[in-house]
Amino acid sequence: MDFATLGGNLFGTIPFGDIVLYLTPFNLFLFAILLVFTIIIAISNTETQVEATFGSLKNTNVTVGKKEFKQRRILSIICGIASAGAMITGDLFNFTLFMALVGILNIGIVSSVKQVSVLDSAFNYGLIAMMCSLPLFGGAAIILAATGTLSLSILSSMPASPMVIFGAVLILLGVLGESGVAPFFASKAEMFRTAGSPFLVIIHLSSLFIIIRAVEILLLVLL
Amino acid sequence: MRISRLWNKLAKPKNIPRLFAFALGILLIVGFVVPFALNIDQIYIRPAPQVQIDDGMSVAPYARGGDILKGPGITLAQFPENSPDLGWINSYLTPLAVWVSSVTPYFGTSICASPGGIIDEILYYTRGFDTILESTILMMAFMIASWLAVNYTANRKNQKDEIKKDVKKAIRDSNKVASEVRINDIKARNKQNRREK
Repeated sequence: MDFATLGGNLFGTIPFGDIVLYLTPFNLFLFAILLVFTIIIAISNTETQVEATFGSLKNTNVTVGKKEFKQRRILSIICGIASAGAMITGDLFNFTLFMALVGILNIGIVSSVKQVSVLDSAFNYGLIAMMCSLPLFGGAAIILAATGTLSLSILSSMPASPMVIFGAVLILLGVLGESGVAPFFASKAEMFRTAGSPFLVIIHLSSLFIIIRAVEILLLVLL
Repeated sequence: MRISRLWNKLAKPKNIPRLFAFALGILLIVGFVVPFALNIDQIYIRPAPQVQIDDGMSVAPYARGGDILKGPGITLAQFPENSPDLGWINSYLTPLAVWVSSVTPYFGTSICASPGGIIDEILYYTRGFDTILESTILMMAFMIASWLAVNYTANRKNQKDEIKKDVKKAIRDSNKVASEVRINDIKARNKQNRREK
């Protein structure tokens, strides 16, 4: 499928060497929204959770320490920028690299939490993120071998062979695992069940946006 | 199996990596029946591996030609207007990689040249922006690991109880090891005595 049918008119390109970022209204809109959210997250404070305790009338506050707060903030800002980059990239391999970066940052954001259940599911998500590098990069490599290019604008005008379809399915599986969509949601959903909300929201937000972008990329490659 | 049970199993984080690995395995097996054929019309080209080995290049399957900052290597531009800027540092190696390649003619096929090894840069300098992203991923991983190491693993000043517990455990362990050593010592001496008799 063509760029213009999916994303609207092409405003321009940003070349990084031979890797070209495309600016269409669709991609720019996603990019801008993610940047706005990243700014909101960067200037906000964390929430405090109040937990009722069993068997007594006491409540316990679950707060985030200052050091932990700073580490989470920098990681979530980078996570926001990385997912914003994935929105406007015009290169298949670049997209998979952004996806891998978002995955590792998601683990980093919850890595300093002191709740065993959260750390357990973060570990499980880490296992998936590690496995995902095979379908993500392997899919991109298979598409490169089949078509001889990784640029989305060239790929969008090429017909899809069975090999390209297989590569695209591999990338789809990688994106599904890495962004924690059903049926692989449990480890990622359990991961942000802790205090410190605005920073944890970026975990959720980045996967949502990347799924949208992945669907666009798959349509470009396949149709 | 009832479907509600299946949902409950899916809600446990522990099962998810297994499920994912299973799905990935199935997909890779399906890959065996997909017709694969390399498209000759590639943009990231280089001489065929056998040709490079016959020429005696030490970076054999990875050579992309060119002289650093003097002449561009063999890189086809995706977009012809970018072609003058490409390929100028295609053959760049770190000093360590230069040393290894001067020592052995099989540098390119050795383990230190495999993806992630010290020759990796040759692959990525053909693709500008990817180099930055790759190293960003690595840097983030180091950042997270070092933050945890500095603040949790190494910083235990305020956990006096745990330190006491650990010291006790260490003493117990070393006592155990010492007694084991003593018992083995006695056994060995008895054996020796028996043999001498």
